[in-house]
Amino acid sequence: MIQHLLYIKRLNKHFGGNVAVADVSFSVEEKQIFGLIGPNGAGKTTLFNCITGFYPVTSGDIIFDNQRLNKRRPDEICHLGMARTWQRVKPLGSLTVLENVMIGAFSITSAVGEAEKMAIEQLNIVGLSDYATKPAGSLPIGLKKKLELARVLATHPKMLLLDEICGGLNHTETDTILDIIRSVRNKGTTIVFIEHDMKAVTSICDRIVVLNSGEKLAEGTPEEITNNPDVIAAYLGGGHHA
Amino acid sequence: MKKQLTIIAIVAAAAALLPIIIGENPYITGIMISMLMMAALASAWNILGGFAGQYSFGHAAYFGAGAYTTMIVLSRLNPNPLFGIVAGIIVACIIALVTGSIVFRLRGHYFGLASIAVAEIVRLSTLNFEFTGGAQGILLSDVSLWGIDLNSKNPFYYGMLLLLVVTLSITVWLGKSKTGYYLQAIREDQDAAASLGINLAFYKKKALLISAALTSVAGSLYAVYIRFIDTSAVLDLRLSIEIILTAIIGGVGTLWGPVIGALLLVPLAEVLRSNVLGDLLVKLGLVSETSGIGIFLKENLAHAHVLAYGIITVLCILYLPKGILGLFRRVK
Repeated sequence: MIQHLLYIKRLNKHFGGNVAVADVSFSVEEKQIFGLIGPNGAGKTTLFNCITGFYPVTSGDIIFDNQRLNKRRPDEICHLGMARTWQRVKPLGSLTVLENVMIGAFSITSAVGEAEKMAIEQLNIVGLSDYATKPAGSLPIGLKKKLELARVLATHPKMLLLDEICGGLNHTETDTILDIIRSVRNKGTTIVFIEHDMKAVTSICDRIVVLNSGEKLAEGTPEEITNNPDVIAAYLGGGHHA
Repeated sequence: MKKQLTIIAIVAAAAALLPIIIGENPYITGIMISMLMMAALASAWNILGGFAGQYSFGHAAYFGAGAYTTMIVLSRLNPNPLFGIVAGIIVACIIALVTGSIVFRLRGHYFGLASIAVAEIVRLSTLNFEFTGGAQGILLSDVSLWGIDLNSKNPFYYGMLLLLVVTLSITVWLGKSKTGYYLQAIREDQDAAASLGINLAFYKKKALLISAALTSVAGSLYAVYIRFIDTSAVLDLRLSIEIILTAIIGGVGTLWGPVIGALLLVPLAEVLRSNVLGDLLVKLGLVSETSGIGIFLKENLAHAHVLAYGIITVLCILYLPKGILGLFRRVK
């Protein structure tokens, strides 16, 4: 039987009269790389904020690893094994790159020495070792994105929610990040992936959900999605850079 | 970490020798006690303000909690003064816990405003309760500890010095611990901190408790030292502001910044309060004692230390946003 790690059931999120997420349901299998795409304002980041406890949901259920997440705090959700990155990167600016990653590692260990060891390991994986002692705020955007990744990987998550981790990066940088994501998945982490870059999404994802104006427009494999006429009309054909 | 603790030990040893070198001079010793107390208070505030970035504008509440609890316990039961200190810590921690549970739901400026509100509630309650002596305050006639002469100022000098050393050591230890890293993460970005598994309210409360406990000990020592307290002496908003300014002018978030701030501001306040400057100008013949300026200086300059704090703060924010310690770092 297929193991589902995350179930989203009829999720709604309203801001006053505005419906940001409308009746969205999907589920993510273990070790999948799951893509969440859609035009600007489709509700992708709002959905992430609901799943990770930053927004209270209006109605619906979020079940992760057999636990209901609805009323849990972000830090509890992190300890359950779900970690996220931020579309607008949030480096802990005056701390060093190494210390940033140690903050992530502290969710597993309380010993400073061990946290440091684990952080160095993650910096090696994403290729930031040379910047370990630099203040995180001083990094250029491409490296800040890698730092976001190293920091959440240090929490040893079962599931990783990546919010436009490739946004603003050039092709080489994007490829490096995608390689890291693949190897993380191969070690057993499930990944949910918000992305604008269609090439990145179709090349890496096993399954994709398309959101439009808060509603689920389509779900399927990358081939199904790229051939779906609704998706092409709403998103790919809508003047967007594919 | 070892290096920092060694420096603290050396500075403390040097400070411990000062009263012996200076000899019996109550005036100078009094000013030095004030410096050590303000250094300890600003350092304790720095644990919450510097590490966690939570600027409390109501730390007088914890100082007053220590002072009042100690005085009430000592004047009624006359036990060992150390019991008074412990009782003060307990009361301060209870206030901190209640305050923290409520106000840490708020972020940013709201926390600062709420901390003022809590301090004012504590002050006004103290002013109106009977067991706190109301507006009259509390006078302590007799106190003794292990046969030490508590009429001398020296025991309080060493008491405040010990408190400062403990506060600085805790700061060093925090800087190298998970809690310290977590608090800094909270200061830098609360959303990022929460998403990395940090329970924001828990760690903020932890910092507040440590800070409040240390602040209350300073209040207890002060109360036994002066032997008279009322709300304007130990619970005033002015005290809260002085603590913050000392930390900001010295350098928030640094180990020695609050100490440097106290070493600079306390003597400055003393000079202005005792009107040394006005007397000096008159003595030098620069202004006549009977002239308008002379009278103004004599009458009003004594109240000018608060104004001076204000001016220094503005200058600091404009030119030394990282405090005086930041200046040295830049030069280096």
